[in-house]
Amino acid sequence: MAYAYLFKYIIIGDTGVGKSCLLLQFTDKRFQPVHDLTIGVEFGARMITIDGKQIKLQIWDTAGQESFRSITRSYYRGAAGALLVYDITRRDTFNHLTTWLEDARQHSNSNMVIMLIGNKSDLESRREVKKEEGEAFAREHGLIFMETSAKTASNVEEAFINTAKEIYEKIQEGVFDINNEANGIKIGPQHPTTNSTLSGSQGGQHAGGGCC
Amino acid sequence: MSAHDQNSSVVKKFQQKYWRTKQTLIKVSGRKEDEHVVASDAELDGKLEVFHSIQRTCMELLKVTEQYQRRICNFSQEENELGVFLRAQGSRDKTRAGKIMQATGKALCFSSQQRLSLRNPLCRLYQEVETFRYRAISDTWLTVNHMEQSRTEYRGALLWMKDVSQELDPDTHKQMEKFRKVQAQVRSTKTSFDKLKNDVCQKVDLLGASRCNLLSHVLTTPATPIWMLPRNRAELRCFSLLLCRQTRPGRG
Repeated sequence: MAYAYLFKYIIIGDTGVGKSCLLLQFTDKRFQPVHDLTIGVEFGARMITIDGKQIKLQIWDTAGQESFRSITRSYYRGAAGALLVYDITRRDTFNHLTTWLEDARQHSNSNMVIMLIGNKSDLESRREVKKEEGEAFAREHGLIFMETSAKTASNVEEAFINTAKEIYEKIQEGVFDINNEANGIKIGPQHPTTNSTLSGSQGGQHAGGGCC
Repeated sequence: MSAHDQNSSVVKKFQQKYWRTKQTLIKVSGRKEDEHVVASDAELDGKLEVFHSIQRTCMELLKVTEQYQRRICNFSQEENELGVFLRAQGSRDKTRAGKIMQATGKALCFSSQQRLSLRNPLCRLYQEVETFRYRAISDTWLTVNHMEQSRTEYRGALLWMKDVSQELDPDTHKQMEKFRKVQAQVRSTKTSFDKLKNDVCQKVDLLGASRCNLLSHVLTTPATPIWMLPRNRAELRCFSLLLCRQTRPGRG
């Protein structure tokens, strides 16, 4: 399908925090209580509209199990946005956030927009991590924060779309070089004006960067 | 079409073998393995250590029991010979010293008999541990071997997946096809490895518990003669000593 931009997202976090369920809720608008273990990575895609422009989100839902850690690291490369997910009913998944964040920062480009997500907000009675703690962590590390529920779909759309908005703003500000695919952004085929001007003005720059 | 299918399945088999061999080489040559993969098997490796310790200590216990048994036999024989000798010498000596010698000889003969009675429970212990080793340990060992084979398959598949993940684009059909193939391989090897991993953990737990059970059962039964023996011997010594004192020269 035609799109103006394509953003690559990755979803990361401990096993069982609901990464695949978030993706399923966002792409298919349904919830599956029992989900098969993700092997390596699964993919999802959806079109959204920001500022009147069609944007395709290409989402990489990575495996959370430790044995896949080295494999999932190769998926970080070229991602424009990351959803870092923990489970509000399991304190250990929150405690592991720093490791995940270090991993993400180390293996991706520095401009990647990271959204911190406390999932399973419907399970209020079993909550182990306060919302304020999530907010504090996000503030400390410069992330956007949201609590979601893949089950009730609360905030799921917002989480994905707000991240896209943030990336879009960064493009407008010129932080992202959209011609460099390592940034996780592709320009769609039906973007004749931008495409031609950009490839005209920045193509040479890009090639120059490539050779050194 | 079918020739093509056949061809691709041959290629797949070949690739599987390649990655399995690669993993085997990494393991055999002792090269550093993926730390995360190793860490995710920490529990299993802990259980394997317990298993190897059970294996080793059972073997040692068998050896020690065997030696103990042999030494008891030798000792008992010597003791008996000394007893017989003292009794023979005592019967020739008509003084009180002869009587003492005879009494001591008798006590020694008796004690040597008592000592021999330790052999039975020791033999039973030996047999029980031997059976345990032969049945339970070797059974677990088989499962451990299966698990190790399956672990090599799984880790080989992970290497393969890591390799195809380097350049992955979900919008490229060909790459995705390849990735799905590897993913299916990882999934199937993971399923069988996880099952065997679980089997090993459970079997090792069971093995440890049943060994405790075996030892506490076997060791409480023969404990009686072991503890009886010194007391009897002590009594016998006391008796001999008493006789000695009574017949000390200058007194009588």
